[in-house]
Amino acid sequence: MTRSREIGRAGWGWTAFAGIIALIYFFPVMWIIMTAFKTRPDALAVPPKFFFTPTLDNFVGVFFRAVISGGGAAQATEFPLYFFNSIFIAGVSCLLALIIGTIAAYGFSRYPLKGNETYMFIILTTRMMPAIVVVIPIFLMFREIGLSGTYAGIIFLYTAFNLPFTIWMVRSFFDELNTEIEDAARMDGATERQLFFGICLPQVKAGLAATFVFGLILTWNEFLFALLLTGVDTRTVPVAMARTLGGEMGVDYGLLAAIVTLFLIPIFFVTFLLQNQLLRGVTFGTVRK
Amino acid sequence: MATIDIKDVTKVYPNGFKAVERINLSVGQGEVMCLLGPSGCGKTTTLRMVAGLEDITEGECQIGGRRVNDLLARERNVAMAFQFYALYPSLTVAENLKFPLHAEGRSHTEMDAKVRQVAKTLQLESVLGRKPAQLSEGEKQRVAVGRSIIRDPECFLFDEPLSRLDVTLREQMRGEIKEVLSGLSKATVIVTHDQLEALTMADRIAVMRAGIIEQVATPHDIFAKPANLFVAGFIGTPQMNLIPASFTGMDGGHGGFALPGGQKILVQVDPAVSRLAPGTEITLGIRPRNLEIMPEPVPDGLTLQVDIVEPMGAETLAHLSDGAQSMRVVCDWRVPIDEGDRLHVRFQPGYVHVFGPDEQAVRS
Amino acid sequence: MASSAVVAHEIRSEGGFLPWLLAPQRRGPLLVAPALIVLFLMNIFPLLWSFGLSFYNYSAKKRDVPDFVGLRFFERVVTDPVVWERFKTTAIIVSSSVLMQLVVGFLLALLFAKQFPLRRILLMLVLTPMMLSLVAVGVFFKLFYEPTFGLVSQAVAMFTGDRYALLGSPTGAIIGVVIADAWMWSPFVMLLVLAGLVSVPKYLYEAAEIDRTSPWRRFQTITFPYIKSLLLLAVLFRTIETFKLFDVVYILTEGGPGTATETIGVYVYRLAFQYFRTSQSAALAYIILFVVIVLTSLYLYAVNRRAQEVD
Repeated sequence: MTRSREIGRAGWGWTAFAGIIALIYFFPVMWIIMTAFKTRPDALAVPPKFFFTPTLDNFVGVFFRAVISGGGAAQATEFPLYFFNSIFIAGVSCLLALIIGTIAAYGFSRYPLKGNETYMFIILTTRMMPAIVVVIPIFLMFREIGLSGTYAGIIFLYTAFNLPFTIWMVRSFFDELNTEIEDAARMDGATERQLFFGICLPQVKAGLAATFVFGLILTWNEFLFALLLTGVDTRTVPVAMARTLGGEMGVDYGLLAAIVTLFLIPIFFVTFLLQNQLLRGVTFGTVRK
Repeated sequence: MATIDIKDVTKVYPNGFKAVERINLSVGQGEVMCLLGPSGCGKTTTLRMVAGLEDITEGECQIGGRRVNDLLARERNVAMAFQFYALYPSLTVAENLKFPLHAEGRSHTEMDAKVRQVAKTLQLESVLGRKPAQLSEGEKQRVAVGRSIIRDPECFLFDEPLSRLDVTLREQMRGEIKEVLSGLSKATVIVTHDQLEALTMADRIAVMRAGIIEQVATPHDIFAKPANLFVAGFIGTPQMNLIPASFTGMDGGHGGFALPGGQKILVQVDPAVSRLAPGTEITLGIRPRNLEIMPEPVPDGLTLQVDIVEPMGAETLAHLSDGAQSMRVVCDWRVPIDEGDRLHVRFQPGYVHVFGPDEQAVRS
Repeated sequence: MASSAVVAHEIRSEGGFLPWLLAPQRRGPLLVAPALIVLFLMNIFPLLWSFGLSFYNYSAKKRDVPDFVGLRFFERVVTDPVVWERFKTTAIIVSSSVLMQLVVGFLLALLFAKQFPLRRILLMLVLTPMMLSLVAVGVFFKLFYEPTFGLVSQAVAMFTGDRYALLGSPTGAIIGVVIADAWMWSPFVMLLVLAGLVSVPKYLYEAAEIDRTSPWRRFQTITFPYIKSLLLLAVLFRTIETFKLFDVVYILTEGGPGTATETIGVYVYRLAFQYFRTSQSAALAYIILFVVIVLTSLYLYAVNRRAQEVD
């Protein structure tokens, strides 16, 4: 125990301690990444190999099917399509949700309706309820009107899926603004449109970006809706991963690990960039500090 | 002996900021010392070094004659009241008061008796069962004081104890704290930026600026004999008039000065002024209450025009100027003064301070 | 009647529908309308539909005209011992997982409450699991628990000489699911507890130092009061979320062995999409929805209380 007077400060000793704990905690992720770089025998080795010669075969395997009888060009797998689907579907639906949600959040924050908080509560409930509750009727509904397996269907669904989160998050940012600035602008004769676009939006820009990226991750990770409502052409990566796992010819863990590793890259970036907004994000904007 | 001795203490923060530089201060038993200065002058840092909440970079701090540099706060047996009161939010007033006693290992009956006694002294009996959130600012402040005086420490430390109270409460609490402290006969350090607080509560005041102690003296001396320009300007409201002038020589017990407007005056000054060489650029200091308003021009007086009149209740503050210099004068509220008037003033003998080119008071 | 006539008059006098729509008093409704419409179409309407379904004998597989059966499915669901069994399984997994998250998250928070070099980077390592896809987490732990070359099996084999299929036994499967879920969500609890720890004013700890308080008392009187409301939030939030426990179970065990890890979520999925008892699953989904609404309102109540504490 050092005789440090400073409360809440620690030195490199603590860093070493926390580092060990953090690495242990992070180990499952690391193990997957390591597995992704292993050859098949290394991946299945008993005892497990912690040191090995890394190979990129698994990553190549994600995109190109090995051609068994020599000759002929390597055949592309469907994974590029799945990755594209994941990015496309998440990107478009989050953008839509951000636009609609920001407008609504502004309304809830600045022009409260009668029963404003009840609306907010209902909106939060639609996010809190298990997907399984709502997926049954949506599944039937989509089948009825032919939206199953289409981009339009899943994008529309994910827009709705992201809306409650977006509204709660963005409203929390609007609520934090100092309304005196708006009052001053009003006194100076700004129109309502100028207030929104010129005064409020620029102040919550960073918050909107955080909300958007958070929504991307939530959508990127989503499984159940995608499992039931995407088709062969619109399948996203999580569904494809689950199907690889349930493959008939035994699981190729190296390949699976490579898919997961590629899938994780955006998540690392986001976790690092959004560290300060993480609390707000994971609690849907309900807890700010 | 419950005393505090600070010897050549310097505090440098890890970022290189020098908060306190080679200060010396000793507080005797039963003495109340106020550290007074503008924000950022190092007064709170000094207090926290005494408390053991900050490391001392250089120098030595002794409490009761014992070197405490290497002791943690908990080992120094000091009591401290914090600026934000630092009341434990989950505990009642009674439990808050009792809290410091746990470490002293007393019996419960003894502790309860102590709590009752302190609550009585500070008139907290009716709120003993409440939580801090249910208290008024004044009550919180009294609990904070109570929690420090309930113990039997080597010394008491108060960090801006009254800064969060409104004016009326502040006046009342100033008196109460002074009364409580006088019964304790321990060394006490109070940090404040409010000179009225320092002047009323302290036995001695240490005026600090930018990490340095400018003057240590009794409240009376600080006011009557400021050691330098900074103390002269800092203590006293309205601020002392500081007039740049040039020393022309002594004439009997009086010093001759040339004012910026070219006018020459002869005023009674400290005999030490005679040691200055004629022609030295000095600063004359005179408090607004020591400028006397005369019915007609007098020799060695000044005639100035009234720019602004500020009624202050019992007195009136007038801002005067004559193009070359400006001055403030305070007079009884019954004296009729209007903006635009021309006033004749004279320096009351014995109240003129002279500060040399090094900004130090010229005094024997 | 009279008021509508007045409104109609106003419309005419102000010249058309658009100015009427954009009047200041309609600004709020207008701004939130698009969002509410989307939510109605994709959430409320489907729910109402499935509410209707639960009164009919309907199966997504058959194309017959469904019979009206009234509350029979609700009755069946409530009296069905299998449903209670699944609720019990869910409760066991939820409570052990939430408890584990609380303990681990709390300890992690104490670790990261201090400021030390490289804290941000280490914190990122610990926070990552929470951001991962549930499917990815399922894959991680599937690999860990794999009986022939999985690390758990091999570690056990080092001591007993035998390979070990953790997911092969009912208890083992529950433990496996709980560990995966707790690993993923402990960082969430950590984040909330950290927020509480950060909100403690530093001067309280200084006062405790001056008052010579023991570490345990300091925790009791200062730290705990500041984090207890956040702990409550964490428990409620995690409990609500764990009702969604589907993906990880689906990947790891598919509810097995037997039905040992078949949570209520997996059961509803099976009812709806494997047994095609659509109406019954809709009725059960409604019961879950009700539980979640109750928990959500409790959660918001706790959020508001905490917000008042902070202010």
